[in-house]
This record gives sequence, structure tokens and C-alpha cells, in this order.
Amino acid sequence: MMGRIKILVVDDELIVRESLIGWLRKSGYEVQGAEGGRQALEMLKTKEYDLIFLDIKMPDIGGLEVLDRVKADYPYSMAVMITAYASVETAVEAMKRGANDYLMKPFEPEQLTLLVEKLLQQKKLIDENILLREHVATRMRYENLVGSSECMQQLFSLIEEVAKVDSPVLLRGETGTGKELVAKAIHAKSERRYGPFIPINCGAFTESLLESELFGHETGAFTGATRAKKGRLEMAEGGTLFLDEIGEIPLKMQVDLLRVLEEKKFHRVGGAKDIAVDFRLVCATHRNLPREIEQGTFRKDFYFRLNVIEIEVPPLRRRLDDIPALAHHFLDRFRRETNKPVMGIQQKALDLLQSYDWPGNVRELENALERAVVLSKGRHLSRDDFAFIFRSGTTDLSFPNSLKEMEKKHIERILAMCDGNISKAAGLLEVNRTTLHNKIKKYRLKPSDTAS
Amino acid sequence: MTKVKPSTLRLGIVEMGRLGEIALRVVAANLQAVLGIEVDFLGPHEVPENAYQAHRQQFDAGLILKHLSGCAFPKYPRILALTNLDLCIPILTYVFGEAEMGGRAAVVSGFRLRHNEDGTAVSIDRYYERLAKVALHEVAHTLSLYHCEESLCLMHFSSKVGQLDKLHILFCERCAFMLQTSLRNLAEEFASRHRKKPVKSDKQKAREARPGPSLRS
Repeated sequence: MMGRIKILVVDDELIVRESLIGWLRKSGYEVQGAEGGRQALEMLKTKEYDLIFLDIKMPDIGGLEVLDRVKADYPYSMAVMITAYASVETAVEAMKRGANDYLMKPFEPEQLTLLVEKLLQQKKLIDENILLREHVATRMRYENLVGSSECMQQLFSLIEEVAKVDSPVLLRGETGTGKELVAKAIHAKSERRYGPFIPINCGAFTESLLESELFGHETGAFTGATRAKKGRLEMAEGGTLFLDEIGEIPLKMQVDLLRVLEEKKFHRVGGAKDIAVDFRLVCATHRNLPREIEQGTFRKDFYFRLNVIEIEVPPLRRRLDDIPALAHHFLDRFRRETNKPVMGIQQKALDLLQSYDWPGNVRELENALERAVVLSKGRHLSRDDFAFIFRSGTTDLSFPNSLKEMEKKHIERILAMCDGNISKAAGLLEVNRTTLHNKIKKYRLKPSDTAS
Repeated sequence: MTKVKPSTLRLGIVEMGRLGEIALRVVAANLQAVLGIEVDFLGPHEVPENAYQAHRQQFDAGLILKHLSGCAFPKYPRILALTNLDLCIPILTYVFGEAEMGGRAAVVSGFRLRHNEDGTAVSIDRYYERLAKVALHEVAHTLSLYHCEESLCLMHFSSKVGQLDKLHILFCERCAFMLQTSLRNLAEEFASRHRKKPVKSDKQKAREARPGPSLRS
């Protein structure tokens, strides 16, 4: 209950309404009255009430019908049914439909006082619960990472722990999972947060350019080096150096970097002066480095120096529950950037997004949202706005040519996504359960086997 | 618990039915002492006919208030009716008293204050004390005070006489402050409304009656 407690009294009898309103106002509540169900429903559209007293018998819309609407549309409002006629059946019916209590007119003063106190106490607990949930929801956005799934919550906890120490971190995860965001979060949570965060994508440079980018160079170190230049190692002084795609670093440079990590000093390309550095190293790779070590393309000693703490960033298909939150997060951003009045995403569109594998991970979802927002003509993104996902080349390359095979494969995938739950799968496929059962029989699918 | 500073405001007390002179005097003395206002007896007053609810054999306190607030007692911005009738309101089976929130009238009954919840009779002193507490509570409602969460304050809601007995015959600091502010505002408002307009002399009247210069030539 934010601010003053708001109560609505709905009764067609003026004297009852005035009497109850007057009594409640004496306790300092903000009380309003409605002379019937229709007026009450109109009032509920514009204002939220903490507590609603509803007369059961009213000429236009009855109290029980109003109660149904209240419970469906305003589930956090408490409802008390009032009646002049003692009937156990109506009382039971009202309680079954979700009424919080039931009173027979006229009430004992103590009965009314205790009831109001009890319900407002319950309402307070509900509101506190909502606040707590909102607090958890804010935990869904951790630095710039979005996700409430268990694996993301574990990741956020791990980041908290890792940020406290200064050891090197190796982030492992598929392309597009947000490894750089994790690195930034570690930096933002660490003691070094007031220092710089210097990222470099090691896969984006040729060997010589990468060396110059990392270590810097002195004037005349090579053709075209007309001025001395600071490298990223120097720039990262006091902060965090993030080496993305560390698996792309040539073997020779791995030795150079190993030396920097061991001795905390280096010299620029073409220079002789030692430069002392103090930074925290966070590296990331989508490669299987132990296998690369076996193949001799990655140094074992360098790997062990980097891999003091290893964090795995989960692919999007392992956290499908986060897709709605992520989709809304990107929608907000692209709506602002494109200035388009796209206000939301239809549930069916979200179901579709959750039925896709996302091989390109969060980055692919981000791109999909950008494209959908740019091309959308409606105020809400629909399934059709995302149809391109399944047409794009990134989807299952082994897509069958035959329509029959395609249908079988699609049903298989949806069943797996729904853990074999027929009702849920039928809902997603927009067919009834019988049709789905027939298809399962036809294609000899076993829902339990398809469950992942 | 705090005492309210004296005010120039006057409250009129009427008797409905037969409560007894001593009861009236006790209530008046407590109102004067605790609220710091002047209290006058305005004599007996008839019970409005429509207030009787035959099916409940009780009197509707709300209807008594409506009747009272329409009565012409120009010197009194607040009127309190004291009665021995059993009072109720449409939604409650009984009330000890009732008041118009921020309005003019309040009514208090001694009917349910003579006995304890178990039916035993109480001493006359305890009865007068209960009567005074309910009167102070209801008059404070007419001064825009809400029910108070402070368990010993006079504005704490008591649905039973046992709860009423636990209350102090004083207001908590917060309620006392609100009362004082409310009484001051009411006194100022009442004084400005009833301030006499200056009497005009015959010369002034004649000057005003004379037609002004005409614009037509």
C-alpha cells in the first residue's frame, strides 16, 4: 500500500454506502463509493484500490460478477463481500471465487474493525512481496547483463566473488553470449573500477598490428611508425585489460604476454626501456583451448597463467526463460534509437522466439529485435515480424526438402522444447491435443524421448 | 499525552431523551478541561421521528446527526447531543456515539456504557468516565481527527467497553497538536463569519442612494 489506503464501497443502497464510507473515513482511509457494479468497474479502470467492499445483490452487475473481474484484472486488491441475506451457499460461492472475506449486514463493530485490520495487514504483506519481486527483477539486470534464469543468477554470484580478487579470469562461451559484458561487470564490481577498462579483440588484427596494438611502439620502430604510441597494456594501467578471442594470439606473442604477466613489465616495440604495468587480465575465448594445447597451437604454461579462474558464459538455448526479458530489453533500446512507436511484443511472438535455438546467441537475438523493430508496422511485434529467423541461413542447415520430414522435425523440436508436455507443445503449434497425438502416432514420435 | 490549549470556541450540548443532569455536567466539565473550549447547555431536544428503526428497535445515529446539524444554534459551531437511546448505524449493530467527520454534529449514548461485556453493572463513576471518553472522541471527529493507532489515545477506536476503559482521558501528542490546529482554524473561521459589518450613517446611505453622473449628454 503506497501512501494512503484506498477503499471502494460498492452498494446500491445509499444509506449503507454512506454509513460504511463515513465509518471508514474516520480511520483516515481514502474511501469512495459506487452505486453499482458497472460504476465500480469504471472506477477500477482509473484507480487502484487496496480494499473493495462488494454488495452481492445489485441491480445492474452483481457482486459476484464484479468479484470475478476484480480477481482477474486487479488481483492485488482485497475483496470483501457484503450481503443483507444470510446464506451459506452464497458465502461459500464468494470464497470459492476468491473473495477475501464475507460480512452480513449489519456487522458487529469489532468484526468490521478486526476484518479491515486483518485484510490491510495481508495487503501490506502482498505489497512487500511485490516489492521483493521487483527487487529480484532488478537483480535480473546485473550491470548490463540481463537474465533471471538460474544459470545467469549463478553467473552473477560468481562475478561478485571473482571481482573481489585480482587473479586472471578466463571466460569461455560461444560467440555472441556476452563475454565482454561479463568482463565489464567483473571490472565494474572490482576495486579497479575507477581505472580504465581496455578491451581488444585479438582476432581482429594481423600478428604485427596486434603486437603494436598490445605493446605500443617507439618512433621508427617500423615503416610508418612516425610517432611513438602507447599500447593497450600501458593504457590498462590501474584497470582491467580484456583480451577477447585469446585463442587467436600467435604462439610467439603468447610468450611475450606470459612474460608481462610474470614480470609485470614490458617494453614497446622498437624500445628498450622497461615499462612497469599493473592491470587485471580478463581473457575470453570460444575455442576449446585444452584441445588446442594438445594440437600444439596454444601454450600450456600461458593457458595455466590465464586460467586461474574459469567462468563459462551459457549459450542462449540454455536459458530460454530469459528470452522475454532480453527481448524487451532490446526492444526498449531499439525503440529509443529508431524512435518507432513499438510498445511491446505479442505473447505468440515471444513463444516463437523461445522455440528457436539461437546459434548466434544473444547477439543474434539482438539483431533479430533490431530488424523486427525497424521493419515493424504495428505497435506490437508479432510472430510475422520474426518469421525471417526461420528463413535465414543460420538455422538448421540440414533442413529437409520434404514437407512431411519438415513437419516431423518441427514437431520433434517443439516437443523437446516442452519437455514432452503435449498440452504445451500443442499450444505452441496452435493445434489441439488430438491433432498432435495423431501426428505423433503418424510420425512414430515418442514425446518422452524428445524431452531434453 | 498532551493537554490542549484553551480556545474561544463554544460547544452546545443538548439532551435527547433522559440522561440525567449529573451526566451532562460531567461530560461538559471534561470537554472544557481536555479540549479547552467553552461548553453551554442548550436544554432538552426532541428525538427526530425518522431516527427510530422499528425492525432493529434502535435509533439511527446518522439520521440524528443530520437532524442536529440542520438545527439553528448560530452561536455554536459544534453541537453535541447526549442521549440514553440505543444507537446504531445502517452497517453496524450498535455504536457508542457517532459524529460528522469535520462536520457540526455529534451524538453520544450512555445506553451501552452502564454494563460490562459480561453484563455486570459498573460503578456510576466508571459510567461517567466512559461517557466523557466517548464524547471527547466524537467531538474530536467533528474537528477532523481520525482514529489513532496509539493504543491509549482517546482517538483509538474502541468497539467494546473494556477497550474504552483502557484509554487515558487525554489525546496523544499528535492528536493534541491536530486538535489545537483544528480548533484555532475553526475559531478564526467562525469569528470572521460572524464579525459585525460596520453600521452605515444616514449621510453615507443618502450618498449611496443618489444617482451617479449620466454619460448621456
